[in-house]
Amino acid sequence: MSNIVFRMDNTSLTYPQHRYEKKKGFDKTTIGPITLDLYQGEVLGVIGRNGSGKSTMVRMMAGVFPPDSGEIEYSGSISLLAGVGVGFNNLFTGLENTYLYGSLMGWSRKKIDGMLDDIIDFSELDNHFYRSFRTYSSGMKARLGISVATAFTPDILIIDEVLGVGDQSFKEKSQKRVREMIDKSGTVVIISHSAGLMTKLCDRIALMHEGKIVFVGDPTEAFIKYKDILDLRESDNSSE
Amino acid sequence: MTNDSPILKPMWGTRSIIRSPLSVITDTWERRELVRNLIKRDLDTRYREPWLGYSWAVIEPTLLAIAYTFAFMILRGKSDPSYAIIVLIGVIGFQLFVKSFTDAVNTLSKNVNLFQFTRIPKALFSVSSMLTNLVLALVSLLALIPWFFILDLEFQAELLLIPLWLLFIGFSGWSLGVWLAPLALRIPDIVKLTQFITKIGFFLSPVMWTYEMLTKLVGDGPISILMHLNPVLVPITEMRDIILGTSSNVPPWGYLLCWILPMIFYLFGTMYFEAKAHKAVVAA
Repeated sequence: MSNIVFRMDNTSLTYPQHRYEKKKGFDKTTIGPITLDLYQGEVLGVIGRNGSGKSTMVRMMAGVFPPDSGEIEYSGSISLLAGVGVGFNNLFTGLENTYLYGSLMGWSRKKIDGMLDDIIDFSELDNHFYRSFRTYSSGMKARLGISVATAFTPDILIIDEVLGVGDQSFKEKSQKRVREMIDKSGTVVIISHSAGLMTKLCDRIALMHEGKIVFVGDPTEAFIKYKDILDLRESDNSSE
Repeated sequence: MTNDSPILKPMWGTRSIIRSPLSVITDTWERRELVRNLIKRDLDTRYREPWLGYSWAVIEPTLLAIAYTFAFMILRGKSDPSYAIIVLIGVIGFQLFVKSFTDAVNTLSKNVNLFQFTRIPKALFSVSSMLTNLVLALVSLLALIPWFFILDLEFQAELLLIPLWLLFIGFSGWSLGVWLAPLALRIPDIVKLTQFITKIGFFLSPVMWTYEMLTKLVGDGPISILMHLNPVLVPITEMRDIILGTSSNVPPWGYLLCWILPMIFYLFGTMYFEAKAHKAVVAA
């Protein structure tokens, strides 16, 4: 087995309850405890029903959400690709938003300068790149978002369901771009509901259910177990 | 494990809450490119659309000062040519304080979407708002220039201290507001409460009144001591003295008291912010 580049050890996070939830006596939502190692060069898929804790787990992995307990260790740089377009300013031009986004990600101006041609080419925005962001259509906003967000390749790349933006040709183009990033990045974690994409791309798949990883391993086996969970859920619903 | 195995570093291991007051300064320096872009964003958001652009930074306090001076003249029934500049300095200082305070209180709620997608020092956003307000206050000082000619005031080297006093006012507003940000994200009533406090604060701050009026009214008893805890009292008075060439004779303990609250809130407020902000963002 290759070297470990990322490790989550008994990591858990409990969502604080709002006053309404406390009043109604709702159970607290806890993600974890999760123990997971990532190996250099592997692509790990994460699947599970909506609300199973996938996005929270990857946010803990990316250092966006600090865990309540447990340890997270990593080497190199980690980047979370999620919520394309977050951080953009409506009054700014595409160019200004590129610098703003880059500085939010911690990239230096020099580094952004070096990536600029690639961002303009990939986004296909041409002269619109120098116009105000608020004049963009939703497709153009998505193009700029994914172009900027995928311009830099980290050592560990985490992708949270961002491959479905833009029109069909841009979707294909961005999926190709992400595949290139996967090839360049040492290690990738990817969340997607697309079974075809996941079995094709991933070396291992982690199946999440009710905030915990219930299976990690062969992609085909993971989807069989996922189907069992969905079937069980359906039969529970129909018996009610 | 092979010899060239990557060395794993803890993701949150070095995060120490006690170091938070220092971390704010080091983060601001290390991420100065981001701070610069955020200041540009905030300035553009306010002034890119209006036809008069940045001129509003001068027009707004000038119009307010004219209105307050007019109201004061009606109330007191006499006119003092230097009163308008006294009010103008008060308006610039007080607005800087209030904007830095409210921006710091709202920093998490305004940027929560971003904080849920990127790992970023959250306090930086309130620091950049404070610096934006400082830049605007410095631009507002241009409104004072005509008064130097009208009142025949001297351009002296001491005027260079004005930006430092403005920096202190901005810092005070920020430090008093930043610790409330995690609470404001969870309890919207906090925002309402701070709006109320700033309205009351207008009357308790030397915008329409002066240090001289205060000492005449309350002497140097306990009320005077309490009034000196207001972080804008001494800075606004000092700025007026520098510009008008007067001396309000603020006692040494007055200078000490004006530092106390901002420093206490800076030290403990940044620690509280660091301890609570992450969880507040998770819950939002």
